[in-house]
Amino acid sequence: MADPAKTSNPPAVELRKIDKSFYGVLANADVDFSLARSEVHALLGENGAGKSTLCSVIAGLYRPDSGEMLMDGEVVDLKTPKDALAAGIGMVYQHFRLVSNLTVAENLALGNPEVGLRLSQSQLEAEARELGERYDFPVDPTARIWQLSVGQQQRVEILKLLYRDVRILILDEPTAVLTPQEGQALFRAMRTLADEGRSLIFVSHKLHEVKQVSDRVTVLREGRVVGGVDTADAEPRDLARMMVGKDLELPTRAPNESIGEPVLVVKDLVVEDDRGLDAVDGLSITVNAGEVVGIAGVSGNGQRELAQGIVGLMKVTGGSVELSGDDITGKSVLQTIKRGIAYVPQSRLGMGLAPGLDTEDNLALKQYREPPYSRGPMLMQNAFNTRGAELIKEFDVRGVRPGLPIRLLSGGNLQKALIAREVTQDHCVLIARSPTRGLDVGATAVVREQILAERDRGIGVLLISEDLDELLALSDRMLVIYEGKIVGEMPASEATAERLGLLMSGHSEEQTA
Amino acid sequence: MSRRLIVEPRGLAPWWLKLVIPIGSVLAAMVLGAVFLAITGNDWVEVYQKMADAAFGSGRGFAETLVSATPLILTGVCAAIAFKMLVWNIGGEGQLIFGAIVAAGVGIWLSESTPAFIAITAVVAAGALGGAFWASLSAVPRVYLGTNEIITTLMLNFIALNLMQYLVLGSSSPWRDPEATQFPQGRPIIENARIPEFFNRLDWGLFIAIAVAIVAWFVISKTRSGFEYRIVGDSFDTARYAGIKVPKKVLGTFLASGAAAGLAGSILVAGILGKMDPRSLDLGLGFTGIIVAALARLNPIAIIPVAILMGALNNAGPSLQSIGVPAATVQILQGAILIFAVAGEFLILNRIRRPDPTAGEAKVEAEAQAA
Repeated sequence: MADPAKTSNPPAVELRKIDKSFYGVLANADVDFSLARSEVHALLGENGAGKSTLCSVIAGLYRPDSGEMLMDGEVVDLKTPKDALAAGIGMVYQHFRLVSNLTVAENLALGNPEVGLRLSQSQLEAEARELGERYDFPVDPTARIWQLSVGQQQRVEILKLLYRDVRILILDEPTAVLTPQEGQALFRAMRTLADEGRSLIFVSHKLHEVKQVSDRVTVLREGRVVGGVDTADAEPRDLARMMVGKDLELPTRAPNESIGEPVLVVKDLVVEDDRGLDAVDGLSITVNAGEVVGIAGVSGNGQRELAQGIVGLMKVTGGSVELSGDDITGKSVLQTIKRGIAYVPQSRLGMGLAPGLDTEDNLALKQYREPPYSRGPMLMQNAFNTRGAELIKEFDVRGVRPGLPIRLLSGGNLQKALIAREVTQDHCVLIARSPTRGLDVGATAVVREQILAERDRGIGVLLISEDLDELLALSDRMLVIYEGKIVGEMPASEATAERLGLLMSGHSEEQTA
Repeated sequence: MSRRLIVEPRGLAPWWLKLVIPIGSVLAAMVLGAVFLAITGNDWVEVYQKMADAAFGSGRGFAETLVSATPLILTGVCAAIAFKMLVWNIGGEGQLIFGAIVAAGVGIWLSESTPAFIAITAVVAAGALGGAFWASLSAVPRVYLGTNEIITTLMLNFIALNLMQYLVLGSSSPWRDPEATQFPQGRPIIENARIPEFFNRLDWGLFIAIAVAIVAWFVISKTRSGFEYRIVGDSFDTARYAGIKVPKKVLGTFLASGAAAGLAGSILVAGILGKMDPRSLDLGLGFTGIIVAALARLNPIAIIPVAILMGALNNAGPSLQSIGVPAATVQILQGAILIFAVAGEFLILNRIRRPDPTAGEAKVEAEAQAA
């Protein structure tokens, strides 16, 4: 299996029989893993397969319940991420750990024991610039983090670790926030780093990325290692089967001929973000009945403000929103619910569900004002139970127990419950933000089916997502949002990942044509 | 890795645990108290006997226990309904005092010939309104300007206390009794505004307090408005998403919380005190209410027995002096109960187990099948 030349030296990192559990659920079970020098090692698996947990164990963030870790053949016990950094292990987390008000150079210096009490700004900046150039990662060292795009912030995270000269670099789903082009730049830098003798762990659930950049692949499923192969020998189909455990087809769109009248018409909409900047900047969209309109874009280009502006959660400062011909601009959330907007927000537990209430309560979160859930001022507990049981059965929400806070359900079950509630209320428009984010294949399939069923029922669906695969699979028409404006529109048949990727990164159609 | 105990959050605590742990906390506190008493050379058996006897041993003693418990039920409700919505109203003290000031004011101002039913209702309601008003001084800035209610409610406690003392001890206000020549006293409210006693010093105020706790429970768990309250208490963003007007809800809860404390003040004034007596109203009842709410795990029904327990301890204190034990012993016990209850809360929310090397595989398989 392993390259004999590499096994002559002890591996840079070796894990033996690692167990780690949360909430009584094993996130990693009996994991053996070995990372050679100069290797890009992909960890492949579905969401919830235990990839992030394993990385966090290596990076010293979590301590395993049992098992041991070796570096260069010696047993180590990393108690904190600081220990791991001192041992030469660094991790770029999915959620960046940068101080947004400080400059790039200051962030590099932060927490570095080699930087003394007195900072030399100019020296730091020179070092940061030199480091960036060496890896073809140009970033302005004097820029403040909040001024940078997500892709640039990720480079800063990587530079921060290189500045500490880590030998082992862990990248947890680094491409999730990047455009396809930025992803390619990252892969080039990863190869350079490996050629210098560093080892990289690359987490992904995208087969083509793994195939392109890695030397070896370890596949995780349900917390266990189900296979390890040299990438060159790996057939994508085999990897997919290992990852999922079975052959599974995701539902995709059948063309829809019965597109109806416009149901949601957004004209020149302006919505300010929390800082008072125009996050949605004169944007217009029309969604017709029986149509899925996909909005692609890199996170942070006004998607949140667009959705929240339409449903009344954020203040609209310009333009108009019409629902089935009625002007609903600036109406309250209660009004937009009553007039028929169903909304699946990006954050399930942060917004879409009340984490501490049980599933039955959450299923009635919007409809509780009307019979059968309430009569006059009184709540009808029986209706909560019977109606709840129906929806739980129909939408196959698992793990429900009366009184059990919904936050203890898995991501897929949370989303099934949320969608069950949204699509069973009276509505004519469904707005969904990244509805399959973080879900396993089974739950993703259910959610996609529901969205397509909505469309076939004549609902106008506005699908706002950062996941191009999801958008391409479901949308009838595709729009691209960039800096709060729609910068491209095309029928689904003409949309490709490359074309969308360029538009998402701000290249106009004229430039790309 | 080494064999360590694993602490993990539990999903759903079994119902009996929610009963066993508070009772266990009380017992543990008593054990600690016994150790303390033994070390200081007292006969702990005798002390506990004396306390039990004073609090529950006679009809009269039990009546006094319930007298002490009455305001604690209300200040407990005050803390519980606010805390459950993550509104940190620690101003029950000030709201109780201001409620007492307004209640006494109305009770003094009313004509002697006012019918009893009207007079009692007016005085009791005035106290609730006064408490709500005092809470509004913190609630309105909190809701509309985002000020920190912990600070404002705490500071307003001192303002209310000083105002009460000024009205009776420092000025010749209408609240001061002109006939008290020796030491300044509050002016008695009209006789018709006094809540009637039905057993020794115990008056009908107890039932008002119990009714308030039951109504609070009923509203929270059985009404539409209570459902909205639970959603807001769980997540502001989710509540906004569900179309609930969060500021209005927080404001309403804050005012209701203040009203409960104000009601405690008016029941004291119209009940056992009969006047605004600064010394009898400055016993830290608002703060003890926070302990009561915490021990009751913010459940309004559980507040009733917990307040009775705390009332019993307060009531037993003075009797200890007859056997040469300081009355402050009961405060040590109250403090210890709180500490054990807070520690016990951890056991309700979490489970501690040994790492089990064989359980891993079975569990993963079970999870896989469930998923």
